[in-house]
Amino acid sequence: MVNTKKMLVGVVSTLLFVPMLAACGNNSDSSQSTAKATTKQTAVQKGTQKLENIVTDLQAALKKQDTDKVKKLGKSVNDQWLAYENGVRDKFPLLYAQVEKYEQPIYAQSNMNQPDVEAMKEDAGHLQNTLKQLMTAKATQEKESKVLNQAVANYKKYVTAQVDKLVTTTEAFAQAVDQGNITEAKKRYVATRPYYERVEPIAESFGDLDPRIDARINDVDNVKNWTGFHEIERALYQKNTLDGQKQYADQLVKDVKELQAKVKTVKLKPKAMVAGAMDLLNEAATSKITGEEERYSHIDLLDLQANVDGSEAVYQAAIPALNVSHKALGNQIDKQFQVVDNELLNYQKQGQFESYTEFEKNKDQVKALSNELEKLSKLMAQSADIF
Amino acid sequence: MGDHDKENHYTRREMLKMTVATGSGLMIGASGLGFVSHLIDPKVKPKTAKANRNETVAFYGKHQAGIATPQQAYLYLISFDLETESKHKIIQLFKQWTKLSELFAVGNWQPNAANQQLPPADTGEALGISPGYLTMTYGLGPTFFKKNGRDRFGLAHKMPKFLKEIPRVGNQNLDTSISNGDLCIQVCSEIKQVAFHAVRNLINTGIGTVSVRWIQEGFISGAKGETKRNLFGFKDGTANVKEKLDDTVWAGADEPSWMRGGTYMAYRKIQMFLEDWDQDSLKDQEDTFGRMKESGAPYGKIHEQDAVDPKKMPSDSHVRVAHTYGAPIYRRSYNYASGINKLGKLDAGLAFICFQKNPENSFLPKLKALGKLDALNEYTQHIGSAMFAIPRGMKKGEYIAQALFES
Repeated sequence: MVNTKKMLVGVVSTLLFVPMLAACGNNSDSSQSTAKATTKQTAVQKGTQKLENIVTDLQAALKKQDTDKVKKLGKSVNDQWLAYENGVRDKFPLLYAQVEKYEQPIYAQSNMNQPDVEAMKEDAGHLQNTLKQLMTAKATQEKESKVLNQAVANYKKYVTAQVDKLVTTTEAFAQAVDQGNITEAKKRYVATRPYYERVEPIAESFGDLDPRIDARINDVDNVKNWTGFHEIERALYQKNTLDGQKQYADQLVKDVKELQAKVKTVKLKPKAMVAGAMDLLNEAATSKITGEEERYSHIDLLDLQANVDGSEAVYQAAIPALNVSHKALGNQIDKQFQVVDNELLNYQKQGQFESYTEFEKNKDQVKALSNELEKLSKLMAQSADIF
Repeated sequence: MGDHDKENHYTRREMLKMTVATGSGLMIGASGLGFVSHLIDPKVKPKTAKANRNETVAFYGKHQAGIATPQQAYLYLISFDLETESKHKIIQLFKQWTKLSELFAVGNWQPNAANQQLPPADTGEALGISPGYLTMTYGLGPTFFKKNGRDRFGLAHKMPKFLKEIPRVGNQNLDTSISNGDLCIQVCSEIKQVAFHAVRNLINTGIGTVSVRWIQEGFISGAKGETKRNLFGFKDGTANVKEKLDDTVWAGADEPSWMRGGTYMAYRKIQMFLEDWDQDSLKDQEDTFGRMKESGAPYGKIHEQDAVDPKKMPSDSHVRVAHTYGAPIYRRSYNYASGINKLGKLDAGLAFICFQKNPENSFLPKLKALGKLDALNEYTQHIGSAMFAIPRGMKKGEYIAQALFES
């Protein structure tokens, strides 16, 4: 029902942290540090060397389309990364975030029956480049105020990339609605939702934009005034007709474009960034885990994952700031994101999240996921201590 | 049960005052911050409540509070499951809980951090309210030590002698989701909002280390100086152990050091079929108990406190069966009522709680006999169950069950 492949490709194509690389890999000194590396490798370099070798094998397997080997190596990539990532996060937080961006989709694909080889090739290429930079990178100690500004700049890039994808995928969705193509519209609905759910708190800061785009039927005082994704969701999944939906689809496109324009000019503040991450986790823990958000399509777990992703993006942007004085907290947050992501992997089959109606049958697993989200929320709340 | 027929002339308030007086020496020492200063910023002194600070029960002492303490009006019993395999994390949590309990017991609360971006340290709903004799009593379930045959924290060799899940008896239909647990906290106060505040903040502090398995609420009130009544309308606890608790309640030298001065808490959630009971004749109700409903006097006697003569009671009467089997126990039960069930009937009953040093020769034989013989079974069903070891009390500077972890 829910296509994770598309979602992952989306993440990959955002290339979030590319402009930050220059700040990290110190070009003038690279020859010197490379020379050192050949004589005595640091723990990070040793770990990176191992990971590079595995990625090289993975690329070969991808080329041969050897699915079994691809899956095995994809998991090895993850194991090796987990084995030494703490050292990377301590010393090279920006490169760390970049490795995570490419490593996580590779691992997610390797857990699927039919991995998306093309997407994995792209990710593996990016990962290999990032690892090369990591081999020669020099650790820098930044002032806290500087890293905070950097954190916001990083996060702004993430938000911008998500909203850009939101606009293009919403346009495609609206087109299918206009054409009255229910099957296609359903597919595109699923494809566009995560982009909104990753950055929803930003939209919420722009007055009535969020209700226009994302209100649920119970959020409005009069159903006649109801617009946005969920109005069309009801037509698609409950009424099974797109008659009269063109006006809503057109309005939705206008609204997400308005969001895009506003995001371009908005000046984000560090505090609002972390508050937004908390909002996302609260969203996940209240409206997604209860199945309220997507009550007709039941793709709540996809939204939930997107909320967690959006919150994780804040954490990753904030790693340099956390490293200055809250390293232990950073470690705990990192671990807990892994726990939640792994928990969510349990509810995916063939790259698709199971529907909420399936998920909620097992009350123990609903409670377990809710527990893990609560732990994450408690830890993320403490991250505001960096201010 | 036991023939503790000595008249109790204390009013409830007088008893509360006595407890405060005996605990006051400890309370003076408890007012400073001191030992857990690493938990909160030592520069910031906790706020002092303007509320009546006389309505307090010392948290520190030889035994944990909330057992011999005169029964407060409201109960929350929280059962937790551990979410960690790290002994260190549990110790950290126990230190934090100790600190919070010390603050809450005297009507104080954690001050906020200087950074306003962080969540408030305290949830706030009890600020400035009297503690209302708030007590917080901590216990450890059998699964704290061993779960699925595994020694979880290398502490199984220090498990107290009688700690185990309550064995199956007749007339039970237990719901596992409201039974057992790795840990428990019994929170009692004269003021429900104060008790809830403690519950909420203790849970919040535990996130990441423990998760709530179940919570049972309770209430109990009685006429001044009289034995309180259960929801069947009968006096409950007439024959309760009232003195020489060393003989019945407090565990002694035959237990591991952390348990000496501690006790075992047995808990049963007993659903009462009140609508059926309310259509039963007065005669049959009294036959069922073996006591008079209004006066509480045992069959064949005149006053509530007169010694029980089992031969005068119907052979299946509740009091006769309970009196005949097992050594005396110390009860501290609460009534509960939580709306209606699926049939539209009142969801109500008794949150039965008792404390004893040796459940094997007291509570368990009684429970077994009652499950088989008690006429009351027609109107009740046991739906929840748990047994917890209550570690001995703490001196200021110690944390909950410290001797278990460190000796």
